[in-house]
Formats: sequence, C-alpha cells, structure tokens
Amino acid sequence: MSNPYQPIPATILETHDETPNIRTFKLKPEREIPFLAGQFVELTVPGHGEAPFTPSSSHFKRDTFDMTIMKVGRATSALFDLRPGDRVGARGPFGQRYPLEKFEGKDIYIVGGGVGLAPLRALFLALVHEIDKYKRVFLRYGARTPADIVYKHLLPEWQKIPKVDIDLSVDVSDEKWMKKVGVVTCLMDEIPCDEKSSIAVVCGPPIMMKFVNQKLLDAGFQGSNIYLSMETNMSCGVGQCRHCRLGPYLTCKDGPVLTWDQIKNIENPFA
Amino acid sequence: MGDYLLSKSNVHQWLSKLLARYAVFVPIQVEKQTHWHLLEPQDLETEPDAITPAQRRIRASEPVKSFMFQPRRQVASFPDPLMPEPPTPRLLLGIKNCDLIPLKVHDKILGEGEFEDPFYLAQRKNTLLVVADCPEPEKSCFCNLLGLTPYAMEGGDAVLSVVDGNWLLSVNESGKGLIDAAPELFKELREGSSEFARRDEQRHAALVTLNMTNAKPWNPDLAGAVAARLGDTAFWNKHAETCVECFGCLMGCPTCYCFLLYDQAKGAGVERTRTWDACYEAAYARVGGGANPRAEFIKRFANRFSCKFSAFKTDHGMYACSGCGRCFKACMGKIDIRKVLGEL
Repeated sequence: MSNPYQPIPATILETHDETPNIRTFKLKPEREIPFLAGQFVELTVPGHGEAPFTPSSSHFKRDTFDMTIMKVGRATSALFDLRPGDRVGARGPFGQRYPLEKFEGKDIYIVGGGVGLAPLRALFLALVHEIDKYKRVFLRYGARTPADIVYKHLLPEWQKIPKVDIDLSVDVSDEKWMKKVGVVTCLMDEIPCDEKSSIAVVCGPPIMMKFVNQKLLDAGFQGSNIYLSMETNMSCGVGQCRHCRLGPYLTCKDGPVLTWDQIKNIENPFA
Repeated sequence: MGDYLLSKSNVHQWLSKLLARYAVFVPIQVEKQTHWHLLEPQDLETEPDAITPAQRRIRASEPVKSFMFQPRRQVASFPDPLMPEPPTPRLLLGIKNCDLIPLKVHDKILGEGEFEDPFYLAQRKNTLLVVADCPEPEKSCFCNLLGLTPYAMEGGDAVLSVVDGNWLLSVNESGKGLIDAAPELFKELREGSSEFARRDEQRHAALVTLNMTNAKPWNPDLAGAVAARLGDTAFWNKHAETCVECFGCLMGCPTCYCFLLYDQAKGAGVERTRTWDACYEAAYARVGGGANPRAEFIKRFANRFSCKFSAFKTDHGMYACSGCGRCFKACMGKIDIRKVLGEL
C-alpha cells in the first residue's frame, strides 16, 4: 500500500526568473508524476512545509516538469533560496484534469491574470500540442505592469502558432508598452468566438476571476463551459483533511478547476 | 458465529487469557468519568469488581477514533520514506455504538477510495472491537435522534450485553479468537434462551429512556434544513453566543476527522506530522495569499453543522454524528447541539 502523504524527491534542474517575485523551477522527480493539465502537485520545501502548485509545463513531456511560483509565504520564500541541484519533495498528481475531450472542435478562450497564467500554460501547451483537434485558441492575459508579465520570452513564439490569438493588457503601462492598458476585462469587450458553444478557462486573483466570470456570462457563455481555477487551502491533496472545502466540493479532489455551474450556488465563491 | 454466556465468576479468567493474545483496553471509572485503560495482569487482582460495572456505563471520555486515527503521529519523512510498522494486535473491549458508527465515517474517508491512509488501516485491521450495550444512557446522550440505537445492530467483532452481571457475547466470525482464547469458560446459548429476553428488555428500557430525554424528533430532512439555513447569520449567531472557541466540541468528537499536516526539520531530513485540526480555527481555510473564505467565526460555526449534517449526509449517506454528547459535555458555553438542530 502506498502512502499518500509521502513526497518523492525531485531535483531542481534550472530556474528562470519571470518577474522580480515569480520564478519558474524545472524539476526532475525520482519517479514520473503522471499529471494531466489541470491537476496539481504538492511541493515540499524541505523543513519549511508544503504547498500546492499546478505544473505549468506540457503533460506530453513528464520526465521533468515546470512550476512557476510566486514568492508569497513561508514555503515559497524558502523555495526561492534553493538553487539548481537542490532537492525538493513532490507528491501527486491530485485533483481533476481539464476534460479536453469536451473542448474538441471548439474555440477555447483562456483568460489569465498575473501568476494565474502559470497553470493555464499547461493547458495552453496541451492544446497547441494537438491544435488540429480544436477550432482556435485565444489567450487573454493581464498583468499589473509590463515587468510583471510572466513568460515574456515565450509569448512571441506562442503568437506564431497557427490558430492561436493572444492579446495582453497591463494595469499600469510604461513608455514601451504598445498594447492595451487596463484590467484584463478590457480585452474582453469583443470576444471573437461563438459564446454559446465556446469554452472559457480562467485563472487569476479572486477579484479578477469574479469580474471575468461575470463578463463571460454577460457575453453569453454557458456556465457549464466556464472553467475556473478555485483557490482554496488544499493541504492533504487527497480529499481527507477538509481544509479546501468549498460548498459541496473538496477542491483538491473535485477541482481545483470547477465550472461556474458547479459553484454558482455557493455563497461568495470568489472570497 | 454464535452467542455465548460467560458467567460473572469467569470474567477475570477470560480476561487473563486475552492478555496473552492482545493488548486489551477496557473502560474504567475514574471519579465521575469513564476512561480507556490498558489492562495489566495485576488489574485483575487489585480491581476485580471494577470492570463489569464500567461496561454498563456510557462511552468513555476519549473517542475510540484516537486508537486508529491518533491525535498526532508522523506520516512521512523526507528524503527517506516512512511506512507504518506492523502494530500489536489490540482488543477494545466495551466500545459503545456511538463510537462504532463514527468509525464508519473514518473508514469512508481514510480507508476507502483512491487514496487510503496506511497508518489508519494498519491500526484498524489490527484492532478487535467488542461493542457493549449501553443500558444506562445519560441526559447528554441523543443517539436516538439520529436513528441510532444504544447497542450495535451491526459491525464490530462481537457484541457484549452485561445481563445480571454475566456477560452475553454475540460473536462474529472475525471475533472467533475471543472465544478460542478460552472456550471452556463459555456456554453456547441456543435460540430462545432466557438471557436474550433479559437483554432485549434492557435494550428496550434504554431506548425508552432516550426517547423520554430526547422526545422531539429532528427535521426528517435535516441535511436540507441545515443547507437552507447556512446563510442565516442571525440563526447561527443566536446559538454561538456563548462559544469561546475552545474547540472542545471538535477535539472530543468521535466523527471529526479534519487534520493538519506540518513539517519539521530533523537532522538532515524532514518529519511530516499529522495532527487533529479544528474547523473553528481562524486560519483553517486561509490560503497562502491571505484570502480567507471563513474569516468570520460565525461562518466557521455554521460550517461545522453544514459539514456534519448536510455535506457528509449528501456525500456518504450518513450524518457525521452519532449522538454521543461529548460536544455538549465539553462545551464551556453549554451549547447543546440538540437545541441548535432542533430549531431547524
């Protein structure tokens, strides 16, 4: 019998600073962690605790995986002190994957805010890996300032992929910024896909999720087609400890991605 | 497997035989409370008359879950992995139905499904359970309101009824070892034996007592009623008025299974510990970035009722409560769960 609380060692192969406080870690686990886009992994920073993160690399390559992480608390601060060659712990995958079979033949409208683009990148890479299965992939991404944009070096390459359409905004621009200025919903005034049948996928800070979700509903998206990454206190990862309870769901087991139809009756789900 | 009678004069001899096979825990009375006690051979000499009366008392103060789902235990280590060591065979002689039912809750969460807890299962599988009838329910008991009985209808390895000081044991196949330890001490009972009638009278009397203490049934759709009231802050505020957030109700609860995992550096490695947690704790649902969906205590108070009487019923077909009354007995604010639920 396996022990669900036991992490396996994973070595940090390399790191890449995305912004002053967001870093991508490339990890090589001792054994492959067979995640699919949408699922998450509990990352142990030895001696400092554990926190849940969704891999941000493609599930088509799993001998290593990336995690893009913001320095925000005790465990992540300690993680930022680690260097290539250091070891962390990982256990998973946990939670539910995106039901990609339901996305086939449809437009996929992805909206990310800040470091929320990290888990969406795993989905984006899974989609473009088999781009022929999908109609088009839209990515709308907002960050606080141009310096806060993650994957700056990758975005120009992604834009070249056929059937992919990317647009960006920042809350506060600098002199070099040529795109829109405003919160990410300013990119959503015109949604160039069929709202009735298209899939929307959203991840970002709670307040951003709330307004993006409302904008999607106003535009005519179906609640069952809006996929939202819910941020709760996922601790055990295996549906036991109950810290992540959200209405009738345990987000670590039933989520972390839930549709609007699933959570619409929960009081203040974006609290 | 069968029904057996152990006369009062043979009880201690049987217990001494059991000690050779198991670590035997029995309830004993300490002042006004009943507590679990690891039976030692000398107890059979020094306290010969204490064991049988304690079997008739209500459940011990400590919930039985503590034997399988310990309040604190190491569950992982890093980088070298930890797996459970084979536990010593144990016998809990005299748990009550209000502690047996909660083990079903733990079985569902920790013992079934995609992720099983090897530490819980190792202890659970190595522990024999003898479920004693509860002929003298107290004012704090309310198993009847949950549709439960003060005796086991199913489950456990044997059922014990103390009748006129003698021990009547109904043993399942899994409890065969209890009789095999000393078969010469038992008389097998045939259907229609007078002991069964005495046992049934005793059980009926206990039910009558419970039905008098807790006469008004709860809303038959309790799960729906709790869910409908979840946002009614005034209702929960009224009932939470005297709560001092000591978490006594949660720590004493035989069904609560929330836990916290935390890591501590040990030498060059790390030890991961699991400890019971309390959903009343302010930081319980708080996320790394600081957001907290239940920052106000009243939301946490309502969440406890929603979890036990609505969500668990919906997800698993049973309430996460067995009516043991420990929450009420532990409460410094004298909050009676029966009063809260009785108003729904």
